[in-house]
Amino acid sequence: MDLFLQLLLNGFVNGSHYALLGVGFGLIFGTTNIVHFAYGPVYAAGAYSAWTAAALLGFPLFLAGLTGVAAATVLGVASYLLLYRPFVRRDAPTFVVLIASLGLFILLENLIAILFGTDKKVVDGYSAGIHFIGPTFYTDIHIYQIASLMILGLALAAFLRLTNYGKAIQAMTDNADMARVIGIDTNKVSILVFAIGSAISAVPAVLILLRDGALPNMGFIAVFVAFLAVVVGGVGSILGAVLGGFLLGMVENVGMWQIPTEWQSTIAFIVLFFVLLVRPQGLFKGT
Amino acid sequence: MSEQLLAVERLSVGYGKKTVVHEVDLGLAEREILIVLGHNGAGKTTLMQAIFGLIRTQSGRVLYRGEPITGRKPADNVLGGIAYVPQGHGIFRSLTVRANLELGAFVVRDRSRLEEDMETVFEMFPILRERATQIGGTLSGGQQQMLAIGMALMHKPSVMILDEPSIGLAPNLVERVMRSIQTINREFGTAILMVEQNVRYGLPIAQRAAVLKTGRKVYDGPPEPLEDRVELMKLF
Repeated sequence: MDLFLQLLLNGFVNGSHYALLGVGFGLIFGTTNIVHFAYGPVYAAGAYSAWTAAALLGFPLFLAGLTGVAAATVLGVASYLLLYRPFVRRDAPTFVVLIASLGLFILLENLIAILFGTDKKVVDGYSAGIHFIGPTFYTDIHIYQIASLMILGLALAAFLRLTNYGKAIQAMTDNADMARVIGIDTNKVSILVFAIGSAISAVPAVLILLRDGALPNMGFIAVFVAFLAVVVGGVGSILGAVLGGFLLGMVENVGMWQIPTEWQSTIAFIVLFFVLLVRPQGLFKGT
Repeated sequence: MSEQLLAVERLSVGYGKKTVVHEVDLGLAEREILIVLGHNGAGKTTLMQAIFGLIRTQSGRVLYRGEPITGRKPADNVLGGIAYVPQGHGIFRSLTVRANLELGAFVVRDRSRLEEDMETVFEMFPILRERATQIGGTLSGGQQQMLAIGMALMHKPSVMILDEPSIGLAPNLVERVMRSIQTINREFGTAILMVEQNVRYGLPIAQRAAVLKTGRKVYDGPPEPLEDRVELMKLF
Protein backbone atom coordinates (compact mmCIF):
# COMPACT_ATOMS: atom_id res chain seq x y z
CA MET A 1 0.00 0.00 0.00
CA ASP A 2 2.90 2.36 0.76
CA LEU A 3 4.31 1.62 -2.65
CA PHE A 4 0.95 2.36 -4.24
CA LEU A 5 0.73 5.76 -2.55
CA GLN A 6 4.27 6.61 -3.64
CA LEU A 7 3.47 5.58 -7.21
CA LEU A 8 0.32 7.67 -7.13
CA LEU A 9 2.33 10.69 -6.04
CA ASN A 10 5.03 10.03 -8.66
CA GLY A 11 2.29 9.67 -11.27
CA PHE A 12 0.84 13.03 -10.33
CA VAL A 13 4.25 14.73 -10.46
CA ASN A 14 5.26 13.13 -13.77
CA GLY A 15 1.78 13.81 -15.05
CA SER A 16 2.25 17.54 -14.34
CA HIS A 17 5.56 17.44 -16.20
CA TYR A 18 4.03 15.67 -19.22
CA ALA A 19 1.01 17.98 -19.15
CA LEU A 20 3.16 21.11 -19.37
CA LEU A 21 5.17 19.59 -22.22
CA GLY A 22 1.89 18.76 -23.92
CA VAL A 23 0.52 22.29 -23.47
CA GLY A 24 3.53 23.87 -25.21
CA PHE A 25 3.58 21.36 -28.03
CA GLY A 26 -0.19 21.34 -28.40
CA LEU A 27 -0.38 25.13 -28.62
CA ILE A 28 2.04 25.08 -31.57
CA PHE A 29 0.54 22.01 -33.25
CA GLY A 30 -3.10 22.96 -32.73
CA THR A 31 -2.68 26.50 -34.02
CA THR A 32 -0.28 26.08 -36.94
CA ASN A 33 -0.84 22.40 -37.82
CA ILE A 34 2.94 22.01 -37.82
CA VAL A 35 4.10 18.77 -36.20
CA HIS A 36 7.07 20.45 -34.56
CA PHE A 37 9.26 17.47 -33.59
CA ALA A 38 12.19 19.83 -33.12
CA TYR A 39 10.26 20.89 -30.00
CA GLY A 40 12.38 18.17 -28.34
CA PRO A 41 15.84 19.66 -28.98
CA VAL A 42 14.47 23.18 -28.38
CA TYR A 43 13.43 21.92 -24.95
CA ALA A 44 16.93 20.40 -24.51
CA ALA A 45 18.51 23.69 -25.59
CA GLY A 46 16.51 25.38 -22.82
CA ALA A 47 18.07 23.02 -20.27
CA TYR A 48 21.59 23.41 -21.68
CA SER A 49 21.34 27.21 -21.80
CA ALA A 50 20.22 27.24 -18.17
CA TRP A 51 23.14 24.92 -17.31
CA THR A 52 25.59 27.21 -19.15
CA ALA A 53 24.26 30.23 -17.28
CA ALA A 54 24.38 28.52 -13.89
CA ALA A 55 27.50 26.35 -14.11
CA LEU A 56 29.76 28.33 -16.44
CA LEU A 57 28.65 31.93 -15.95
CA GLY A 58 27.72 31.63 -12.29
CA PHE A 59 24.20 33.06 -12.62
CA PRO A 60 21.86 32.52 -9.67
CA LEU A 61 19.46 29.64 -10.36
CA PHE A 62 16.37 31.73 -11.05
CA LEU A 63 18.23 33.90 -13.56
CA ALA A 64 19.74 30.79 -15.15
CA GLY A 65 16.22 29.43 -15.55
CA LEU A 66 15.11 32.63 -17.28
CA THR A 67 18.13 32.35 -19.59
CA GLY A 68 16.93 28.87 -20.53
CA VAL A 69 13.44 30.20 -21.25
CA ALA A 70 14.82 33.04 -23.38
CA ALA A 71 17.10 30.72 -25.36
CA ALA A 72 14.29 28.23 -26.09
CA THR A 73 11.99 31.08 -27.16
CA VAL A 74 14.54 32.46 -29.62
CA LEU A 75 15.35 29.01 -30.99
CA GLY A 76 11.66 28.10 -31.34
CA VAL A 77 10.78 31.31 -33.20
CA ALA A 78 13.89 30.92 -35.38
CA SER A 79 12.89 27.39 -36.35
CA TYR A 80 9.51 28.70 -37.49
CA LEU A 81 10.87 31.70 -39.39
CA LEU A 82 13.84 29.97 -41.02
CA LEU A 83 12.55 26.46 -41.59
CA TYR A 84 8.75 26.08 -41.42
CA ARG A 85 7.60 29.41 -42.81
CA PRO A 86 9.03 28.96 -46.32
CA PHE A 87 7.10 25.67 -46.54
CA VAL A 88 3.90 27.16 -45.13
CA ARG A 89 4.07 30.03 -47.65
CA ARG A 90 4.26 27.53 -50.49
CA ASP A 91 1.33 25.53 -49.11
CA ALA A 92 3.56 22.48 -48.68
CA PRO A 93 1.77 19.33 -47.50
CA THR A 94 1.92 18.58 -43.74
CA PHE A 95 4.00 15.51 -44.52
CA VAL A 96 6.81 17.57 -46.06
CA VAL A 97 6.89 19.93 -43.09
CA LEU A 98 7.01 16.89 -40.80
CA ILE A 99 10.13 15.55 -42.56
CA ALA A 100 11.75 18.98 -42.36
CA SER A 101 10.97 19.00 -38.66
CA LEU A 102 12.64 15.61 -38.16
CA GLY A 103 15.68 16.93 -40.01
CA LEU A 104 15.85 19.92 -37.69
CA PHE A 105 15.46 17.56 -34.72
CA ILE A 106 18.56 15.57 -35.74
CA LEU A 107 20.54 18.70 -36.57
CA LEU A 108 19.85 20.41 -33.24
CA GLU A 109 20.33 17.30 -31.14
CA ASN A 110 23.75 16.65 -32.69
CA LEU A 111 24.68 20.30 -32.42
CA ILE A 112 24.03 20.12 -28.69
CA ALA A 113 26.15 16.96 -28.42
CA ILE A 114 29.02 18.63 -30.35
CA LEU A 115 28.88 21.81 -28.28
CA PHE A 116 28.45 20.25 -24.85
CA GLY A 117 29.63 16.65 -25.18
CA THR A 118 27.52 13.60 -24.45
CA ASP A 119 28.17 13.34 -20.71
CA LYS A 120 25.44 14.27 -18.26
CA LYS A 121 25.40 17.92 -17.16
CA VAL A 122 24.30 18.64 -13.63
CA VAL A 123 24.12 21.91 -11.73
CA ASP A 124 26.63 21.47 -8.91
CA GLY A 125 25.74 22.81 -5.53
CA TYR A 126 22.01 22.42 -5.97
CA SER A 127 20.24 19.76 -4.00
CA ALA A 128 16.50 19.72 -3.66
CA GLY A 129 14.99 19.44 -0.21
CA ILE A 130 13.23 16.15 0.52
CA HIS A 131 9.94 16.03 2.40
CA PHE A 132 7.83 13.21 3.77
CA ILE A 133 4.10 12.80 4.14
CA GLY A 134 3.58 9.55 6.04
CA PRO A 135 5.34 6.79 4.13
CA THR A 136 5.70 8.79 0.87
CA PHE A 137 8.35 11.34 -0.03
CA TYR A 138 8.60 14.24 -2.44
CA THR A 139 11.22 16.87 -3.27
CA ASP A 140 11.20 20.63 -3.90
CA ILE A 141 11.51 19.94 -7.62
CA HIS A 142 8.32 17.89 -7.52
CA ILE A 143 6.55 20.87 -5.99
CA TYR A 144 7.92 23.16 -8.69
CA GLN A 145 6.79 20.75 -11.40
CA ILE A 146 3.23 20.76 -10.12
CA ALA A 147 3.21 24.51 -9.38
CA SER A 148 4.64 25.45 -12.81
CA LEU A 149 1.87 23.54 -14.56
CA MET A 150 -0.80 25.26 -12.47
CA ILE A 151 0.62 28.76 -12.88
CA LEU A 152 1.50 28.52 -16.58
CA GLY A 153 -1.67 26.59 -17.42
CA LEU A 154 -3.93 29.16 -15.77
CA ALA A 155 -1.96 32.07 -17.22
CA LEU A 156 -2.25 30.62 -20.72
CA ALA A 157 -5.96 29.94 -20.31
CA ALA A 158 -6.50 33.55 -19.18
CA PHE A 159 -4.39 34.84 -22.08
CA LEU A 160 -6.38 32.83 -24.62
CA ARG A 161 -9.73 33.99 -23.26
CA LEU A 162 -9.09 37.59 -22.40
CA THR A 163 -6.64 39.07 -24.89
CA ASN A 164 -7.02 39.88 -28.56
CA TYR A 165 -4.02 37.76 -29.47
CA GLY A 166 -5.48 34.92 -27.43
CA LYS A 167 -8.70 35.14 -29.41
CA ALA A 168 -6.71 35.19 -32.64
CA ILE A 169 -4.99 31.98 -31.55
CA GLN A 170 -8.36 30.37 -30.78
CA ALA A 171 -9.70 31.46 -34.16
CA MET A 172 -6.68 30.12 -36.05
CA THR A 173 -6.88 26.83 -34.13
CA ASP A 174 -10.50 26.47 -35.25
CA ASN A 175 -10.08 27.47 -38.90
CA ALA A 176 -6.89 29.06 -40.22
CA ASP A 177 -8.44 30.07 -43.58
CA MET A 178 -11.31 31.86 -41.87
CA ALA A 179 -8.84 33.53 -39.49
CA ARG A 180 -7.14 35.11 -42.53
CA VAL A 181 -10.49 36.12 -43.99
CA ILE A 182 -11.47 38.15 -40.91
CA GLY A 183 -8.14 39.95 -40.97
CA ILE A 184 -5.95 37.96 -38.58
CA ASP A 185 -2.30 37.96 -39.60
CA THR A 186 -1.71 34.21 -39.30
CA ASN A 187 2.03 34.65 -39.73
CA LYS A 188 2.22 36.86 -36.63
CA VAL A 189 0.05 34.44 -34.68
CA SER A 190 2.33 31.56 -35.71
CA ILE A 191 5.39 33.44 -34.46
CA LEU A 192 3.54 34.11 -31.22
CA VAL A 193 2.58 30.48 -30.57
CA PHE A 194 6.11 29.30 -31.36
CA ALA A 195 7.41 31.85 -28.85
CA ILE A 196 4.92 30.90 -26.12
CA GLY A 197 5.12 27.15 -26.74
CA SER A 198 8.93 27.13 -26.72
CA ALA A 199 9.09 29.35 -23.62
CA ILE A 200 6.72 26.97 -21.82
CA SER A 201 8.86 23.94 -22.81
CA ALA A 202 11.94 25.46 -21.19
CA VAL A 203 10.34 25.47 -17.73
CA PRO A 204 10.01 21.67 -17.42
CA ALA A 205 13.42 21.43 -19.13
CA VAL A 206 15.12 23.48 -16.41
CA LEU A 207 13.34 21.48 -13.71
CA ILE A 208 14.51 18.20 -15.26
CA LEU A 209 18.04 19.64 -15.43
CA LEU A 210 17.87 20.23 -11.68
CA ARG A 211 16.24 16.88 -10.94
CA ASP A 212 18.02 14.44 -13.27
CA GLY A 213 20.64 16.46 -15.18
CA ALA A 214 20.75 17.17 -18.93
CA LEU A 215 21.68 14.84 -21.80
CA PRO A 216 21.70 15.73 -25.52
CA ASN A 217 18.97 13.18 -26.26
CA MET A 218 16.67 14.38 -23.45
CA GLY A 219 14.46 16.08 -26.05
CA PHE A 220 13.38 12.82 -27.65
CA ILE A 221 11.35 11.51 -24.74
CA ALA A 222 10.02 15.02 -24.08
CA VAL A 223 8.55 15.62 -27.56
CA PHE A 224 7.39 12.03 -27.67
CA VAL A 225 5.42 12.34 -24.44
CA ALA A 226 4.14 15.78 -25.46
CA PHE A 227 2.89 14.38 -28.75
CA LEU A 228 1.15 11.47 -27.02
CA ALA A 229 -0.46 13.81 -24.46
CA VAL A 230 -1.81 16.03 -27.24
CA VAL A 231 -3.11 13.19 -29.40
CA VAL A 232 -4.70 11.41 -26.43
CA GLY A 233 -6.23 14.66 -25.15
CA GLY A 234 -7.34 15.95 -28.54
CA VAL A 235 -5.48 18.33 -30.87
CA GLY A 236 -6.44 21.96 -30.38
CA SER A 237 -7.53 21.62 -26.77
CA ILE A 238 -5.24 22.97 -24.03
CA LEU A 239 -7.26 21.27 -21.31
CA GLY A 240 -7.06 18.07 -23.36
CA ALA A 241 -3.25 18.25 -23.44
CA VAL A 242 -3.18 18.71 -19.65
CA LEU A 243 -5.50 15.79 -18.98
CA GLY A 244 -3.72 13.65 -21.58
CA GLY A 245 -0.41 14.35 -19.83
CA PHE A 246 -1.85 13.44 -16.44
CA LEU A 247 -3.39 10.27 -17.82
CA LEU A 248 -0.03 9.16 -19.24
CA GLY A 249 1.86 10.00 -16.04
CA MET A 250 -0.65 8.22 -13.84
CA VAL A 251 -1.01 5.08 -15.92
CA GLU A 252 2.75 4.82 -16.42
CA ASN A 253 3.51 5.05 -12.69
CA VAL A 254 0.54 3.35 -11.10
CA GLY A 255 1.00 0.57 -13.65
CA MET A 256 4.33 -0.21 -11.95
CA TRP A 257 2.36 -1.48 -8.97
CA GLN A 258 1.57 -4.77 -10.68
CA ILE A 259 3.55 -4.69 -13.91
CA PRO A 260 7.36 -5.10 -14.12
CA THR A 261 9.25 -1.80 -14.61
CA GLU A 262 10.61 -2.67 -18.06
CA TRP A 263 7.09 -2.32 -19.45
CA GLN A 264 6.79 1.31 -18.34
CA SER A 265 7.26 2.99 -21.72
CA THR A 266 5.08 0.38 -23.42
CA ILE A 267 2.16 1.37 -21.22
CA ALA A 268 2.01 4.84 -22.82
CA PHE A 269 1.50 3.20 -26.19
CA ILE A 270 -1.20 0.91 -24.89
CA VAL A 271 -3.04 3.96 -23.54
CA LEU A 272 -2.69 5.70 -26.90
CA PHE A 273 -3.91 2.61 -28.72
CA PHE A 274 -7.05 2.19 -26.64
CA VAL A 275 -7.91 5.89 -26.57
CA LEU A 276 -7.63 6.19 -30.35
CA LEU A 277 -9.61 3.00 -30.80
CA VAL A 278 -12.53 4.40 -28.81
CA ARG A 279 -12.15 8.13 -29.56
CA PRO A 280 -10.00 8.79 -32.64
CA GLN A 281 -10.42 12.56 -32.19
CA GLY A 282 -8.90 12.41 -28.68
CA LEU A 283 -10.59 12.42 -25.30
CA PHE A 284 -11.38 16.11 -24.92
CA LYS A 285 -11.64 17.47 -28.44
CA GLY A 286 -13.69 20.62 -28.66
CA THR A 287 -13.70 21.54 -24.99
CA MET B 1 -12.37 53.26 -64.51
CA SER B 2 -10.96 55.66 -61.94
CA GLU B 3 -14.29 56.38 -60.26
CA GLN B 4 -14.77 52.67 -59.56
CA LEU B 5 -14.65 51.59 -55.92
CA LEU B 6 -13.04 48.29 -56.80
CA ALA B 7 -11.47 47.59 -60.16
CA VAL B 8 -9.75 44.55 -61.62
CA GLU B 9 -7.52 45.13 -64.63
CA ARG B 10 -6.37 42.31 -66.90
CA LEU B 11 -6.02 40.00 -63.94
CA SER B 12 -4.61 36.51 -64.49
CA VAL B 13 -4.55 33.97 -61.69
CA GLY B 14 -3.51 30.34 -61.54
CA TYR B 15 -1.94 27.54 -59.64
CA GLY B 16 1.66 26.73 -60.51
CA LYS B 17 2.03 27.08 -64.28
CA LYS B 18 -1.67 26.53 -64.93
CA THR B 19 -3.67 29.71 -65.49
CA VAL B 20 -7.28 29.56 -64.33
CA VAL B 21 -8.37 33.20 -64.75
CA HIS B 22 -7.29 34.92 -67.99
CA GLU B 23 -6.90 38.71 -68.14
CA VAL B 24 -10.24 39.54 -66.58
CA ASP B 25 -11.41 43.17 -66.27
CA LEU B 26 -14.06 43.93 -63.70
CA GLY B 27 -15.33 47.10 -62.09
CA LEU B 28 -17.54 47.66 -59.07
CA ALA B 29 -19.04 51.09 -58.44
CA GLU B 30 -20.02 52.48 -55.04
CA ARG B 31 -23.29 50.99 -53.78
CA GLU B 32 -23.50 48.60 -56.70
CA ILE B 33 -24.46 44.92 -56.66
CA LEU B 34 -22.48 42.97 -59.24
CA ILE B 35 -23.16 39.29 -59.72
CA VAL B 36 -20.57 37.02 -61.31
CA LEU B 37 -21.98 33.94 -63.02
CA GLY B 38 -20.30 30.97 -64.65
CA HIS B 39 -20.21 27.20 -64.89
CA ASN B 40 -18.34 25.04 -62.37
CA GLY B 41 -14.61 25.50 -62.72
CA ALA B 42 -14.97 28.79 -64.62
CA GLY B 43 -12.57 30.42 -62.15
CA LYS B 44 -15.08 32.48 -60.15
CA THR B 45 -13.80 31.48 -56.70
CA THR B 46 -10.18 31.81 -57.82
CA LEU B 47 -10.88 35.33 -59.07
CA MET B 48 -12.53 36.36 -55.79
CA GLN B 49 -9.71 34.87 -53.70
CA ALA B 50 -7.13 36.70 -55.79
CA ILE B 51 -8.94 40.03 -55.45
CA PHE B 52 -9.02 39.61 -51.67
CA GLY B 53 -5.36 38.57 -51.47
CA LEU B 54 -5.90 34.97 -50.40
CA ILE B 55 -3.97 33.63 -53.39
CA ARG B 56 -1.27 35.13 -55.56
CA THR B 57 -1.93 36.70 -58.93
CA GLN B 58 0.10 36.05 -62.08
CA SER B 59 -0.38 39.38 -63.80
CA GLY B 60 -2.70 42.38 -63.91
CA ARG B 61 -3.78 44.45 -60.96
CA VAL B 62 -6.51 45.17 -58.44
CA LEU B 63 -7.42 48.76 -57.53
CA TYR B 64 -9.42 49.86 -54.51
CA ARG B 65 -10.45 53.51 -54.34
CA GLY B 66 -7.93 54.10 -57.12
CA GLU B 67 -5.01 52.63 -55.16
CA PRO B 68 -3.33 49.40 -56.30
CA ILE B 69 -3.92 46.63 -53.74
CA THR B 70 -2.78 43.64 -55.82
CA GLY B 71 -1.47 40.89 -53.56
CA ARG B 72 -2.11 42.91 -50.42
CA LYS B 73 -2.57 40.82 -47.27
CA PRO B 74 -6.19 39.96 -46.41
CA ALA B 75 -5.63 41.58 -42.99
CA ASP B 76 -4.90 44.92 -44.69
CA ASN B 77 -7.88 44.54 -47.02
CA VAL B 78 -10.20 43.93 -44.08
CA LEU B 79 -8.74 46.96 -42.36
CA GLY B 80 -9.30 48.97 -45.54
CA GLY B 81 -12.99 48.07 -45.63
CA ILE B 82 -13.25 44.94 -47.78
CA ALA B 83 -15.09 41.93 -46.35
CA TYR B 84 -14.99 38.41 -47.71
CA VAL B 85 -17.57 35.70 -47.10
CA PRO B 86 -16.09 32.42 -48.32
CA GLN B 87 -17.99 29.56 -49.89
CA GLY B 88 -19.61 27.02 -47.59
CA HIS B 89 -20.39 28.59 -44.22
CA GLY B 90 -17.28 30.56 -43.35
CA ILE B 91 -17.59 30.47 -39.58
CA PHE B 92 -15.64 29.18 -36.59
CA ARG B 93 -17.45 25.95 -35.87
CA SER B 94 -16.16 25.37 -32.33
CA LEU B 95 -16.97 28.86 -31.03
CA THR B 96 -20.27 30.42 -29.98
CA VAL B 97 -22.30 32.68 -32.24
CA ARG B 98 -21.35 35.67 -30.08
CA ALA B 99 -17.63 34.77 -30.18
CA ASN B 100 -17.88 34.44 -33.97
CA LEU B 101 -19.40 37.90 -34.30
CA GLU B 102 -16.79 39.38 -31.97
CA LEU B 103 -14.08 37.83 -34.16
CA GLY B 104 -15.76 39.38 -37.19
CA ALA B 105 -14.85 42.73 -35.64
CA PHE B 106 -11.29 41.57 -34.93
CA VAL B 107 -9.66 44.44 -36.82
CA VAL B 108 -11.91 47.07 -35.23
CA ARG B 109 -9.77 48.68 -32.54
CA ASP B 110 -12.60 50.67 -31.02
CA ARG B 111 -14.20 47.98 -28.83
CA SER B 112 -16.87 50.34 -27.46
CA ARG B 113 -18.79 50.01 -30.72
CA LEU B 114 -18.92 46.23 -30.47
CA GLU B 115 -22.30 45.88 -28.77
CA GLU B 116 -23.92 48.43 -31.07
CA ASP B 117 -22.61 46.69 -34.19
CA MET B 118 -23.70 43.31 -32.88
CA GLU B 119 -27.16 44.78 -32.29
CA THR B 120 -27.27 45.78 -35.97
CA VAL B 121 -26.47 42.21 -36.99
CA PHE B 122 -29.08 40.83 -34.57
CA GLU B 123 -31.72 43.15 -36.03
CA MET B 124 -30.96 41.84 -39.49
CA PHE B 125 -30.84 38.19 -38.39
CA PRO B 126 -32.98 37.84 -35.21
CA ILE B 127 -32.30 34.09 -35.13
CA LEU B 128 -28.66 34.84 -34.28
CA ARG B 129 -29.74 36.71 -31.15
CA GLU B 130 -31.73 33.67 -30.00
CA ARG B 131 -28.74 31.43 -30.70
CA ALA B 132 -26.06 33.82 -29.37
CA THR B 133 -24.63 31.32 -26.88
CA GLN B 134 -24.91 28.30 -29.17
CA ILE B 135 -21.80 26.71 -30.74
CA GLY B 136 -21.50 27.75 -34.40
CA GLY B 137 -21.09 24.23 -35.76
CA THR B 138 -24.46 23.18 -34.34
CA LEU B 139 -26.42 25.79 -36.33
CA SER B 140 -28.35 24.80 -39.44
CA GLY B 141 -26.85 25.55 -42.85
CA GLY B 142 -28.96 28.66 -43.36
CA GLN B 143 -28.15 30.01 -39.91
CA GLN B 144 -24.44 29.40 -40.50
CA GLN B 145 -24.63 31.42 -43.71
CA MET B 146 -26.40 34.24 -41.88
CA LEU B 147 -23.69 34.12 -39.22
CA ALA B 148 -20.99 34.26 -41.89
CA ILE B 149 -22.60 37.35 -43.43
CA GLY B 150 -23.12 38.81 -39.96
CA MET B 151 -19.41 38.39 -39.21
CA ALA B 152 -18.50 40.26 -42.38
CA LEU B 153 -20.90 43.07 -41.37
CA MET B 154 -19.19 43.46 -38.00
CA HIS B 155 -16.33 45.47 -39.42
CA LYS B 156 -18.58 47.77 -41.45
CA PRO B 157 -17.14 47.12 -44.89
CA SER B 158 -17.49 49.34 -47.97
CA VAL B 159 -17.27 46.27 -50.20
CA MET B 160 -18.53 42.80 -49.42
CA ILE B 161 -17.31 39.92 -51.56
CA LEU B 162 -19.54 36.85 -51.30
CA ASP B 163 -18.66 33.47 -52.80
CA GLU B 164 -21.86 31.54 -53.55
CA PRO B 165 -23.87 32.49 -50.46
CA SER B 166 -26.74 30.26 -51.62
CA ILE B 167 -24.77 27.03 -51.85
CA GLY B 168 -26.41 24.11 -50.10
CA LEU B 169 -29.46 26.11 -48.97
CA ALA B 170 -33.14 25.33 -49.43
CA PRO B 171 -34.92 27.69 -51.89
CA ASN B 172 -36.79 29.65 -49.20
CA LEU B 173 -33.50 30.25 -47.39
CA VAL B 174 -31.80 31.31 -50.61
CA GLU B 175 -34.45 33.98 -51.02
CA ARG B 176 -33.99 35.03 -47.39
CA VAL B 177 -30.21 35.34 -47.77
CA MET B 178 -30.49 37.28 -51.05
CA ARG B 179 -32.97 39.67 -49.45
CA SER B 180 -30.58 40.31 -46.56
CA ILE B 181 -27.74 41.01 -49.01
CA GLN B 182 -30.00 43.53 -50.73
CA THR B 183 -30.83 45.10 -47.38
CA ILE B 184 -27.15 45.42 -46.48
CA ASN B 185 -26.58 47.13 -49.82
CA ARG B 186 -29.46 49.56 -49.36
CA GLU B 187 -29.14 50.35 -45.66
CA PHE B 188 -25.38 50.58 -45.31
CA GLY B 189 -24.45 51.46 -48.89
CA THR B 190 -22.16 48.45 -49.04
CA ALA B 191 -21.10 47.55 -52.57
CA ILE B 192 -21.60 43.84 -53.25
CA LEU B 193 -19.46 41.61 -55.46
CA MET B 194 -21.14 38.24 -55.47
CA VAL B 195 -20.42 34.94 -57.15
CA GLU B 196 -23.67 33.05 -57.56
CA GLN B 197 -24.89 30.01 -59.44
CA ASN B 198 -28.48 30.52 -58.44
CA VAL B 199 -29.62 32.72 -61.33
CA ARG B 200 -33.27 32.70 -60.31
CA TYR B 201 -32.71 34.38 -56.94
CA GLY B 202 -29.38 36.06 -57.61
CA LEU B 203 -30.12 38.02 -60.80
CA PRO B 204 -33.15 39.98 -59.53
CA ILE B 205 -31.12 41.73 -56.81
CA ALA B 206 -28.15 42.51 -59.08
CA GLN B 207 -27.67 45.80 -60.89
CA ARG B 208 -25.11 44.36 -63.22
CA ALA B 209 -23.91 40.89 -64.17
CA ALA B 210 -20.69 39.41 -65.48
CA VAL B 211 -20.29 35.91 -66.88
CA LEU B 212 -17.05 33.93 -66.76
CA LYS B 213 -16.42 31.04 -69.12
CA THR B 214 -13.29 28.92 -68.71
CA GLY B 215 -11.53 31.79 -66.98
CA ARG B 216 -12.45 34.56 -69.42
CA LYS B 217 -15.14 37.19 -69.16
CA VAL B 218 -17.75 36.65 -71.90
CA TYR B 219 -20.46 39.05 -70.73
CA ASP B 220 -20.59 42.23 -68.68
CA GLY B 221 -23.73 44.32 -68.59
CA PRO B 222 -27.30 44.56 -67.33
CA PRO B 223 -28.68 41.40 -65.73
CA GLU B 224 -32.02 41.43 -67.54
CA PRO B 225 -30.90 39.78 -70.83
CA LEU B 226 -29.58 36.85 -68.81
CA GLU B 227 -33.00 36.14 -67.42
CA ASP B 228 -33.75 34.66 -70.80
CA ARG B 229 -32.65 31.06 -70.47
CA VAL B 230 -31.67 30.74 -74.12
CA GLU B 231 -29.41 33.77 -73.92
CA LEU B 232 -27.84 32.42 -70.75
CA MET B 233 -27.26 28.96 -72.19
CA LYS B 234 -25.37 30.51 -75.10
CA LEU B 235 -22.95 32.14 -72.70
CA PHE B 236 -22.46 29.00 -70.64
